[in-house]
Amino acid sequence: MSTHDDHVIETHGLSRRYGRKLALDHLDLRIPRGRIHAIVGANGAGKSTLFRILLGFLAPSAGRARILGRDSQQLTPEDRGRIGFVNEEHTLPGWMRVSAIARMHHREYARWNQRAYEEVIGHYHVLPEQKVGQLSRGERAGFNLALALARSPELLILDEPTLGLDVVAKRAFLESLLYSNAADDCTVIYCSHQMEEIERVADNLIILERGRLMHMSAPEEFCSRVTHWVADIPFKGPEPSTVPGLLERQRLDGLHHYLVLDQDEGFAEFLRGVGARSIQSMPVGLDRAVNAFLAKNHAAPAAAA
Amino acid sequence: MFELFKAELLRFRTWALALAGVHFIALGFLTRVVDLAQQPLVVHWSFGSTYAALGLLLGLYQMGTYRKPSAWLNMLHRPLSSPRIATSLILAAVALLAVAVALPIALIALWQGAMTPRVVDLRHWLLALAALQIATAGYLVGAYGMLGERRYCYAGLVFPLLLITAAATGLGALALQALAVAWLIAMVLATFKPDLDAPPRGAAGMIAVALPLQMAMYLLMLLAYSGVEMLWIAQGSHPNNTPTPPRGGHNEAEKADDRTRMRLALAGSTHPDAPLLREQIALSEPVGIASQLRRVPRRSELANVAPMEFDDDARGVRWVFSHDDMRLHGYRLNDRTSAGTLGIGADNVAFPVPALPVGAMPGSAKGDALLIAGNTAYHYDSESGQVLPRIRLPEDEVLVGASPLGETLGAISDRALYFFDGRETVEHQRVMTPRLRVPIPGSYHDIYDLDMIELVDGYLIVFSNSYNAHSAEGAVPYQYVLRVRDGGEIETIAKRRLAYDYPELYRYRSFWTSPALYALRDRVQHLFAPPLPLETSVAAPIPRSMWLLAGALSLLSLIGALWRTPRLVMPAPVRAAWVAICGAIGLPALAALWLLYRPQEIVASEQVSMQHAPVV
Repeated sequence: MSTHDDHVIETHGLSRRYGRKLALDHLDLRIPRGRIHAIVGANGAGKSTLFRILLGFLAPSAGRARILGRDSQQLTPEDRGRIGFVNEEHTLPGWMRVSAIARMHHREYARWNQRAYEEVIGHYHVLPEQKVGQLSRGERAGFNLALALARSPELLILDEPTLGLDVVAKRAFLESLLYSNAADDCTVIYCSHQMEEIERVADNLIILERGRLMHMSAPEEFCSRVTHWVADIPFKGPEPSTVPGLLERQRLDGLHHYLVLDQDEGFAEFLRGVGARSIQSMPVGLDRAVNAFLAKNHAAPAAAA
Repeated sequence: MFELFKAELLRFRTWALALAGVHFIALGFLTRVVDLAQQPLVVHWSFGSTYAALGLLLGLYQMGTYRKPSAWLNMLHRPLSSPRIATSLILAAVALLAVAVALPIALIALWQGAMTPRVVDLRHWLLALAALQIATAGYLVGAYGMLGERRYCYAGLVFPLLLITAAATGLGALALQALAVAWLIAMVLATFKPDLDAPPRGAAGMIAVALPLQMAMYLLMLLAYSGVEMLWIAQGSHPNNTPTPPRGGHNEAEKADDRTRMRLALAGSTHPDAPLLREQIALSEPVGIASQLRRVPRRSELANVAPMEFDDDARGVRWVFSHDDMRLHGYRLNDRTSAGTLGIGADNVAFPVPALPVGAMPGSAKGDALLIAGNTAYHYDSESGQVLPRIRLPEDEVLVGASPLGETLGAISDRALYFFDGRETVEHQRVMTPRLRVPIPGSYHDIYDLDMIELVDGYLIVFSNSYNAHSAEGAVPYQYVLRVRDGGEIETIAKRRLAYDYPELYRYRSFWTSPALYALRDRVQHLFAPPLPLETSVAAPIPRSMWLLAGALSLLSLIGALWRTPRLVMPAPVRAAWVAICGAIGLPALAALWLLYRPQEIVASEQVSMQHAPVV
């Protein structure tokens, strides 16, 4: 089996420039086939630009991108039939009936799986005679997911699919995805800002920041790299620049809280060295770990830096 | 593909049906008031513009809704090629326009043909097709305008401009519209691709977009010159805007009254009779022969030069010319019943070419009419109810008008002036024999004014040939003074060269901007057009200085292309082609090159200035 077949997405030195700004900065990314891969990143991290390049809707300024083994700028209609894409807007023709859209997709996609469609749409109270314009946002998202999975894609890209959905709709969407047999057969790229969703669905976590790949591993592996230390240090504590692996610090009730990356017991020694009288370490959840990781390099006014 | 087509039909069906209803009601109302089949070209332009605007709105709206990034991705990311998706949308739009635009026209034609005595020819049925093609062209301009790169999305507008200015008629006009639609489809297909910011797809796609874009650039440059001309006018030294026209120029002759213009024509004449003739001009009343045709009517042309009908007030009958059987069809005005058909003479022979009513014969009775058809003028005699030929010129001439000159009947063709004895118009009904024939000096199209006075033994005729002297299409402006004696002797009294009032740079602006596009524009405007005897000009030769200027600009464009193309992402053969095109076409091509391609974005290694190292 070739390398191309082992990876659904491969980028090499992929860059995209908008004027003076680099949306993607020499991105080298290889996503293996199978499982659910979550891509997270702050706004402007380059996620949407990456998807647009991968689907051939934007040309890279430099570098290469391959999707399902094909150069992203050379995708054929057959390739597109193998790649599902669901975006946050769930853009569907509002003037058409649900049954008509399903019928249209049935005829367009050779590998249409009616059972998968019915399996997913069954989670929603969507009637075939309803027009898309009459569906709630949650119903539209579910209908869109049903269509995407019924096409039996090899690769399914979900770009913030639950954005704007209420809690109930979000849960219905995730359950539709997780319990669908169709989803088992394809590689899913799940892009979201909702860490509880990522935690629930993702097998692999990819963090992008300012157009660069910052991390890729299983979510729990990433969590294990971030630790929360609480120290009782008299006075103001050490200078932030001297704290190794610092992601975030806070002072609450006289105690110093540090979120640090890739620090072992040696960090306790560091704290003792700066006068800590008592030290406690604890693991952190994915939400806090990712947020701290992304917030570390968040742009701030020069005066506040 | 069919599913997409159906979906798009479904999307706009209510709008299409509503518009079809409104259109049908509007046409139905108008057809009760006037005979829509006999309206002149200007009315057809109004309708055509409305249909084009309707199509334009559809194209802008339809593609505007799909152009949004998420909608565009949803539309094109499917197992169908982009051209097939585009074809589905275009076919749906054409079907919708057929319902909204063509169907009501066909229904009105059906009603008029079946329920009224009015004439409905094949050409009127073809109006439905013409309307559909014009609306489709408008739609495609809108679609391209929405999908194309913002910097050149207006390039499609050259096609509506072409349809407005084209000389083709009838089937030729339909063919030209079809060609414009086909080209616009090619433009839309070249642009209908996932990455809308990328240059047009493929070599054919690039040609489909680049050529109209170059023409658009050319026309924009001409428009810019008009802006400069406005400043010239505002500044007050524009030759057409000075308190008195420049002396000795064509403006002076054109703006003068008839008598002054005749006297100007004799200025500087050394002919021994010149002083006497000047006195006679001062004492006489100048007259002229009116031209009654602006354009020669062509069989099965879609629009009329003028309504092809006249009323016989004496009999209360309206006669309408039918292009199908080349006869006049009559219906009574009081009860709208048929009054039969009318051909030439007692045998009711079909007219060889379309006959256009242009008024009445001088001295004719109430209800009579004069019809011009090719080289012949026919007299409709109300009393006998017959159409008889009265003036017949040589086969290769086109009669343009006839009007009384005192007791004489004057006629003008594209080649000569004719003088008939006025008494013949009432004394008999045979073909009249001209007393005099005076060949036109130069071309008919170049005549700006024709003035004459009656002499004791003939006429003094002044031709002021300065039409289009302000542009590259005009002949060298002259005034010709001819004396014609009753015996047939023609003598040239004077030939006065008129000065150009405008500098060469102004007159030849459409040429030196791009000689290639200047020639192409002329060729395309006359594509599928019949011979135009009344519009044939003998243009003045293009001055060498203007050729040099055009060459210098082409060289400048070539140098510009040599500088620009290495900064653009394009294969070497394409680069060479653009350099050659810029050299051949000039500044419009260079402007098109500038707009079509963006310089390559350079992502240098030093720009990878992220201060945060990855932690993968």
